[in-house]
Amino acid sequence: MDLLWQTAVNATYAASYMALIAVGLVMIFGVMGVINFAHGELYMVGAYCVVFLYAQETFPFLLAVAAGLVFVGFVGIFMERTMFRPLRDNPLGGLIASIGFLLILQTLAVFGFGRRMGHVPPSTQGKMEIFGAILTYQRLFVIVAAVLLLAALWAFLKRSKFGRALRACAQDAEAASLQGISMNQTARVAMFIGAALAGVAGALTAPLVNPTPYIGHSIIVTAFIIIIVGGVGSLEGAVIAAVIYAFVHTFVTTFFDGVIANIVGLALMLAVLVTRPTGLFGAKERA
Amino acid sequence: MLRKSLDRKISRRKFLGTTAASGTALAAMGSGLSRVAYADSDTIKIGFLAPLTGPVAAWGKPGLDGCLIWADWVNAKGGVNVGGKSYNIEFVSYDNEYDAAKAKTGATKLIKEDGVKFIMMLGGDTWPGVEKIAEREGMLFSTLLPSDLSPDSTTLLAPCEVHPIYNVTGVEWLAENKPDLKTAVMCAQDDSLGKPSVATYLAAFEAAGIEMIDEPLFFDPTTTDFAPVMTKLMAGNPDILCLDTCYADYVHPLCEQAFQQGYKGQIISCTADFYQKIIEKTSAEFMEGFIFQFPDFDDPALNSEGVNFVNPNEFYAEYAKRYGASQWGAVSWEYASIMDLWADAASQAGSAEPAAVLEAMKAGGTGKHAFGTADWWGTELFGIDNALVGDWPVVVIEGGKATIKDFRSIPAWWDKHKDLMIKHMTALGQMWNQRS
Repeated sequence: MDLLWQTAVNATYAASYMALIAVGLVMIFGVMGVINFAHGELYMVGAYCVVFLYAQETFPFLLAVAAGLVFVGFVGIFMERTMFRPLRDNPLGGLIASIGFLLILQTLAVFGFGRRMGHVPPSTQGKMEIFGAILTYQRLFVIVAAVLLLAALWAFLKRSKFGRALRACAQDAEAASLQGISMNQTARVAMFIGAALAGVAGALTAPLVNPTPYIGHSIIVTAFIIIIVGGVGSLEGAVIAAVIYAFVHTFVTTFFDGVIANIVGLALMLAVLVTRPTGLFGAKERA
Repeated sequence: MLRKSLDRKISRRKFLGTTAASGTALAAMGSGLSRVAYADSDTIKIGFLAPLTGPVAAWGKPGLDGCLIWADWVNAKGGVNVGGKSYNIEFVSYDNEYDAAKAKTGATKLIKEDGVKFIMMLGGDTWPGVEKIAEREGMLFSTLLPSDLSPDSTTLLAPCEVHPIYNVTGVEWLAENKPDLKTAVMCAQDDSLGKPSVATYLAAFEAAGIEMIDEPLFFDPTTTDFAPVMTKLMAGNPDILCLDTCYADYVHPLCEQAFQQGYKGQIISCTADFYQKIIEKTSAEFMEGFIFQFPDFDDPALNSEGVNFVNPNEFYAEYAKRYGASQWGAVSWEYASIMDLWADAASQAGSAEPAAVLEAMKAGGTGKHAFGTADWWGTELFGIDNALVGDWPVVVIEGGKATIKDFRSIPAWWDKHKDLMIKHMTALGQMWNQRS
C-alpha cells in the first residue's frame, strides 16, 4: 500500500512540472502558431538561473525561482521580437529559428556553466509523510507552485480584459485585430507567459534534477507527447494529458521499468492519435 | 480555447509532421568540437576521442584534463624518447558526445587531418562507429571498456580500466567485511555500459552468496526524475542498493532519492564521481560506507611499491590546483595512465607507428598497469587477450573522504568464479560472440 501511495506522490510531482511546461508550450503555439522547439531550453535556462543565483551566489531559493521566472519570460519576449514576429507569416520559419535558438542557448549554458551537470543543494531537507509515502518539501514546492500558477493563469485568461484579448487572438487573429487588439502585444504577453512557465518549472526542479546544458532534449520530447495527447492548442488538454502521462509513466516505471514506461508513453500517444487524431481535447480541423 | 490557431497558421497534421521531422533533424544535428593542433615535426599527436559534452562527459572531459597535466609534465622533462629523438606530446581532442556517428567522424578527422599516432576513447556505444576505421587504417585505439574488445579488433586495447570486471572486487570485499548483508537490488541505464556491468554484479553477488530480491531495473538514459526508480528499488527493503555503472548524472539523483525516501542500508556503485556533491545533497552519515572502485589519487595507499602510476599524489594535487578537487572523477587519471604505457612502448619500439607500439606494449604478455603489474588477458570473455588485468582498488567513503580499503586481484576472482561471469554475461547477450 505504501508503494502505491509513494508512486502516486511521485506521479503528482511529475504531473506538476510537466503541466507547467506543456501549458507554456501550448500558450505559445495557440496564440502565435509557432512550434517552439527551444521550449526545453527555456526550462534549462530557468534551472540555470537557480544554479547561478541560489547555488553560486547564495540568494534565497524562492528569490532565485522568481528571478528565473521573470528572466526566462524576458528571454521569451526577446524570441518573439527577434525571431517569431519577423517570421509571423512563416510558421515553419519560426520553428527552424527556434531550433537555432535552442543551440545558442545550449552553447551559452556551456560557456557560462561548463558542460557538466550543475549542482544545486536542496533548499530544505524537510519532508512529510502522506499515508506512509514520503513527500519532500522540495517536491511539495513544485506541486504547490504548479497549482497556484496554473490557477492564476486560468483566472487571468478567463477574468481579465487582457486574458480575453489573448483568447480572442487565439480564436481569430484577424477579427481580434479589427476590434483593436494589438497582435504584437498579445504575442509578446503570450510568449512571456509561455516562456516563464517553462522557466519556473526549470527553476523549481533545479535542485531535484542536476541541470545540464542538454537537459532540454528529454523535456521537449515529453512536452510534445503531452500536448499531442491533450490536443494541440488546448490548455485544459495539456494539463489533463500531463496528469495522465505522468501517472502512466510513473506507475509503469515503478511496477515494470523505465524503458517499458517510455514505450507505454509513446504507445499512449499513438493510441490517441489513431482513435482521436485531434487529441483528447483538440478540435477537428476544418475541411 | 486556443485551438483555433490550428486553423489559422498551421494545421495539426503539419504540426505533427514538422515536429517529427524537426526532431529527427535535431537528433542528427551537431558535431563534435575539435581542438586543432598545429604541431611541428618534433611533436607526436595523440587523439582524444571521447564525450566532452552531454551526460557521459564526466567520463571524458576529466580524462582530457588529466592528459593535459601528463603532457605538460612529460614535455617539461624533454618529451618522449622515440628512436633516440625526443618528441613533445600534443593531444588533439574531438568531442564525440557519446554518439557512434560522431565518433566515426572524429576518428576519420584525427587520422586523416591531424595525423595522430594513437587514439584514446571511452568506447561503449561509440566504438561501433569507429571499429571499421580502426580495422582499415590499422590505427591503435584504446578503450576504457573492455566489453568493446573482440577478435575482429586487433588494434583495440583496454590497457587501464577493465570495466566492468573489476566491480567483482567491491562485492567480494563487501561480502567479507559485512557478511550480515544478504539481499540486494540493482538499477542501471539501459545501454552498453549498464548491461555488462549488471551481468558482472549479478555474478559477483551470486559468488558472494548475496540474493537478488528483484530483477535488475533498467531505466532509459533520458530519465531525469529518479523518484519512481528508487521507490521500486526500495520496495523490497534490500540490505544492499547497487547502482551498477550508472553515470554521475544518475548516481547523484539516485543517492539523493535514496536519502529522501529514507534508505538506510549499504550502497555499492562502480563510480561515485564528484561524491562531495552527493554528500552536500544528502549527508556524510548517509554516505558513510559507500563502496565504489575509483580512488582519489591523494590516497597514501597509492604510494605503495607495486603501484606504477607516476607520482599519484602530486598528480592529484596538480589536478586539484588546476580544476578543483571536486572535479576529480573516475577517469581523471585513467587516460594519463594509458599514456604512460604508450610512452614506454613507443620508447621501447623506437617508433610511434601504431603497429610497432602495439607489439612493444604487449611484449611478454604482461604490462605495467597503473595499480601493478598485470597480464594481457581476456580470450575467454572478449575473444582476445587485449585487456590488461591485475589488481584493482576497493574504495570506501569514510568520514566524507574516499579511502582505499584494499587492492584485490581480478584474475584470482576469475579463476574461482569464471563460470558465473560467463553465465550472466551470456544471459544478457554481452559475450563478445553475442554482440552484433
